[in-house]
Amino acid sequence: MNEPREGSNAEPTTHFGYQRVPESQKARKVAEVFHSVAAKYDLMNDLMSGGIHRLWKRFTIELSGVRPGNRVLDIAGGTGDLTRQFSRLVGPSGEVVLADINASMLKVGRDKLLDSGVAGNVSFVQADAEKLPFPDNHFDCVTIAFGLRNVTHKEDALRSMLRVLKPGGRLLVLEFSKPTSSLLSKAYDAYSFTLLPLMGKLVTNDADSYRYLAESIRMHPDQETLKAMMVDAGFERVTYHNMTGGIVALHRGIKP
Amino acid sequence: MLTQAVLAGVEAGLNRVLRLDASVPARLAPLAGRVIAVDCPAPAVQLFVLPEVDGLRLAAHWEAPADCRLRAPATSLLRLAVSRDKTSILHGPEVELEGDSGLLLELAGILQDLELDWEYELARWLGPLPAALLGGHLRLRARWALDGLDSLRQSLADYLSEESRSLVGRQEAEARFAELDDLKLALDRLEARVERLSSTPASDDPA
Repeated sequence: MNEPREGSNAEPTTHFGYQRVPESQKARKVAEVFHSVAAKYDLMNDLMSGGIHRLWKRFTIELSGVRPGNRVLDIAGGTGDLTRQFSRLVGPSGEVVLADINASMLKVGRDKLLDSGVAGNVSFVQADAEKLPFPDNHFDCVTIAFGLRNVTHKEDALRSMLRVLKPGGRLLVLEFSKPTSSLLSKAYDAYSFTLLPLMGKLVTNDADSYRYLAESIRMHPDQETLKAMMVDAGFERVTYHNMTGGIVALHRGIKP
Repeated sequence: MLTQAVLAGVEAGLNRVLRLDASVPARLAPLAGRVIAVDCPAPAVQLFVLPEVDGLRLAAHWEAPADCRLRAPATSLLRLAVSRDKTSILHGPEVELEGDSGLLLELAGILQDLELDWEYELARWLGPLPAALLGGHLRLRARWALDGLDSLRQSLADYLSEESRSLVGRQEAEARFAELDDLKLALDRLEARVERLSSTPASDDPA
């Protein structure tokens, strides 16, 4: 995904939406986006998806296979939608770690969960998905929902997730993907590049962040490419489920 | 996604109702984390029910193994949902139970014993006094309607079986069914005897 600059010792570049930026700047730029949208993240998610993001997350929970007593890592957990569900499923004998690289998102998520009474089996960690600060073979399930496309080195992140999973544990990647129908794709493009920034402007007074969202989705690997990346990282039995005509896909892989 | 949407709606409505009974969380707590799979062969539908402390979770898929599996046709499941006497339906011949049936019976018991505090919900919207007045009025009307329905059912049954003779009475029907069962048993025995006689090789005539 990242291309070194030819014929020089300059820093390799990567994409930030449709722009190319030095790799070291991507994380900072992504952080700026999420600092800007954190306060109204949930509201915007509901507005942008018409509430369907709840159904995508619901399906993710169904495929997670999480049971009481399990240890779950929710990477890029944002405002804690998945963590709240996992916390109920693992019960008092289990543990859920909500990890996010962005302090603003983590704070919003922590406050929201504590205010709704989710506590006791949940911990909050500010962590980079590429260098997860957890021991090997530690989690029964790792999820990353709408976070992988913002990671600079996706291959490193996938390998890091594999490392912290127990053998037999599963990784679930919920992410925007490529619509399966060309007609839907055209409608989706029109929506993403006109309505989405407009909504961002009206609600958060920040059209650029939502333009980045639309662009980053287009730059994210499609279903088959991400599946191949997971296989390359070492996952087995990698499958994916398209949702809402492929606008979103849920990839699942098992650690051998 | 449509299934997920329907289940999410049903789950939200169901849990809203369950919250009207203050005893439910304490009774559901010991069942939390267990999985009940419901298989309906016709129409082919599979549903997973997961009790949680604050309600029930419904899912179309569930990857963790089920603790209890209920297999029954849609009619039985519908009766199970609406009937007060759920245990008698669970013991019916068309219903199959695998795994920890105690889990399902416990959950059925909780749903059967629900005592919903509708007045509390009404009071939140209307205030305590109007809610009490309306609640009392509704209870009176409901009792009157149930009594009327029972009376109508009894009168209709009496008319059809005793006066118009369009239908036979329950006891008369049961007696006839018992006779038919006896007759069927006797026929089966006779058939078996004829088969045995016909399969016996003919012995040589000693004369």
